[in-house]
Amino acid sequence: MILNDILGRDVMDSTGQRLGEVSDVRFALDAAPAQLLSRARMVGVVVCPRTATSFLGYERMDVNQPWPLAQLLRWRHRGSFLVLWEDIAVMGPDGVRLRSAFMAYESTLPR
Amino acid sequence: MRKAKPIPVQDIRPAPRPAGLVLDAQLHLLDRQVLDVDDVPVTTVDDVELSGPAPGEPIPEGTEAPHITALLTGAVLGTRIFGGRPPSSRFIRIPWEVVAGVDTVVSLGVRANSLDASWLERWMRDQIIAKIPGGRHDPE
Amino acid sequence: MKRLLGVALGILTAIGGFVDIGDLVTNAVVGSRFGLSLAWVVLVGVVGICLFANMSGRVAAVSGRATFEVIRERMGARAGLANLAASFLINLMTVTAEIGGIALALQLASGVSYMLWVPFALIAVWLVIWRVKFSIMENVAGLVGLSLVVFAVALFLLKPDWGSLASQALHPSVPSEEGPGTYWYYAIALFGAAMTPYEVFFFSSGAVEERWKVKDLVQSRINVLLGFPLGGFLSLSIAACAAVVLLPAGISVTTLSQVALPVIQAGGQLALAALLLGVVAATFGAALETTLSSGYTLAQFFGWSWGKFRRPAEAARFHVAMIVVLLAGVAVLTTGVDPILVTEYSVVFSAIALPLTYLPILIVANDPQYMGKHVNGRAVNIVAFIYLVIILVASVAAIPLMIATGAGA
Repeated sequence: MILNDILGRDVMDSTGQRLGEVSDVRFALDAAPAQLLSRARMVGVVVCPRTATSFLGYERMDVNQPWPLAQLLRWRHRGSFLVLWEDIAVMGPDGVRLRSAFMAYESTLPR
Repeated sequence: MRKAKPIPVQDIRPAPRPAGLVLDAQLHLLDRQVLDVDDVPVTTVDDVELSGPAPGEPIPEGTEAPHITALLTGAVLGTRIFGGRPPSSRFIRIPWEVVAGVDTVVSLGVRANSLDASWLERWMRDQIIAKIPGGRHDPE
Repeated sequence: MKRLLGVALGILTAIGGFVDIGDLVTNAVVGSRFGLSLAWVVLVGVVGICLFANMSGRVAAVSGRATFEVIRERMGARAGLANLAASFLINLMTVTAEIGGIALALQLASGVSYMLWVPFALIAVWLVIWRVKFSIMENVAGLVGLSLVVFAVALFLLKPDWGSLASQALHPSVPSEEGPGTYWYYAIALFGAAMTPYEVFFFSSGAVEERWKVKDLVQSRINVLLGFPLGGFLSLSIAACAAVVLLPAGISVTTLSQVALPVIQAGGQLALAALLLGVVAATFGAALETTLSSGYTLAQFFGWSWGKFRRPAEAARFHVAMIVVLLAGVAVLTTGVDPILVTEYSVVFSAIALPLTYLPILIVANDPQYMGKHVNGRAVNIVAFIYLVIILVASVAAIPLMIATGAGA
């Protein structure tokens, strides 16, 4: 599986209702340290209801300038949420289908 | 494009915080420069390979989360831009094990010359540049 | 002393951006048709390029990342590739024009046919890129190119009516023989020429070549504040000379020799010699700048190792790409196309490509992960945002105006 297989694809819930597109895939380096960096475990998928195009960095909470652009991009990406790996039923070029009892989490990055 | 059903704001909970560094692939990994241990550029990250699952196959409950196996470059750039997917044998891989850090660039712990990813650079060097006089000397 | 000599990068970037062969002719054309009524555009352009070159220089010094790496990283592969294609095409057109320009200037100086000088110019430019150290290249090309100040000297010697020149500049209006369409077309052309993306690609990559770090931020700023206004000053001198000599006589500018007329009139053979020296140096510098820019943009997009500070053997793809660009440029010239015409079109296309280049720079200059505490201040952001709007307007208006006015005919 490569990331291009799922980036930008539709995300649907278990009934087939479209929820948005995959705008990013989140990883955490929280396993035991390996030789250099620890393993990058997939945490989940960031879903954007409108568009998958790049956040240009405003996802990070501390980038607020230039103000008009930040506001515009935050508005375009409003309603984005994170879905954890455990709630994904199928992933592939035809889209991502979630399990019936999935939970939506905030997608802003911890810092 | 069918309209997406929005999730009501009150249903969106605060995310669990993982213990270590959190990376978003598109934001932090894709399209970043890869520098080797001597800060020599190797390539850009054109795609990322995961350990699983099989695309399009249902995922059984309780399956362990996949992890990143390698950073990819080469033909995947063309397919990322124009669509499609090259066969896995055509991927040029930089194994995750040699990645030392992810910042504004991706730093490796090994030299560029030891990687498959630098074969085109080495080929051009040996076939073209070395044949022109002065190619191996410092500029003066 | 080192600080003062260390402004060569800014000067060379500005010379390649403001007084390369295309700008030399465009400024003379503008002067001969509009007088100084478009001088305000040059001023707006100078402030704009100072703003963005400073930002990209700061990004390069603080984070070590040159502009095109940033463009790909911020915009993604697809938009980045579109940007690369546009920038590469413009660079290629400009390289073609500059090699032709070197040959034209040498023809004017020696009487030897232009076509014979083209291979000579090609080899000379390539040799400098292949073997000469970056710092020597920028110092020599920059300093010798400054002899274009002969235009300013000529302007004084011509004893013009300063009052009339000043009123043209301060109360701009469309001259009776021209229409508002052509006026605004040339305004966009001058703006595009002042803010050409390759200036920023070259300046930020040059910052990495020079190994500028945080402690060199002041150096970077001095380079910008000295170099680009100087370029603007030279631009205005050329336009003013044309305004004084060619406009009243109704002489239209189509060749390099007409650009030289005011200078010959003012200072005779000596001035002409200084002029030719300056033109050769400026076009040579512009050829270096644009060829290196094509190498830089390709290498930074694909992640190749690059830089004149590396041996060619350690930056093989970078050097091969530039050799291909030079050969392609010469191939185009051998078809007999007029290099000056090529560059006039490339300037307008630059205006169209501007938003793609400047938006990522503005965004990264505000990103603490790249810049630490050296992010843009609020005042800079406000001005930069205003410029972004101006750039968008110019970019959108360029093609319709070009069609409507028949490229300024």
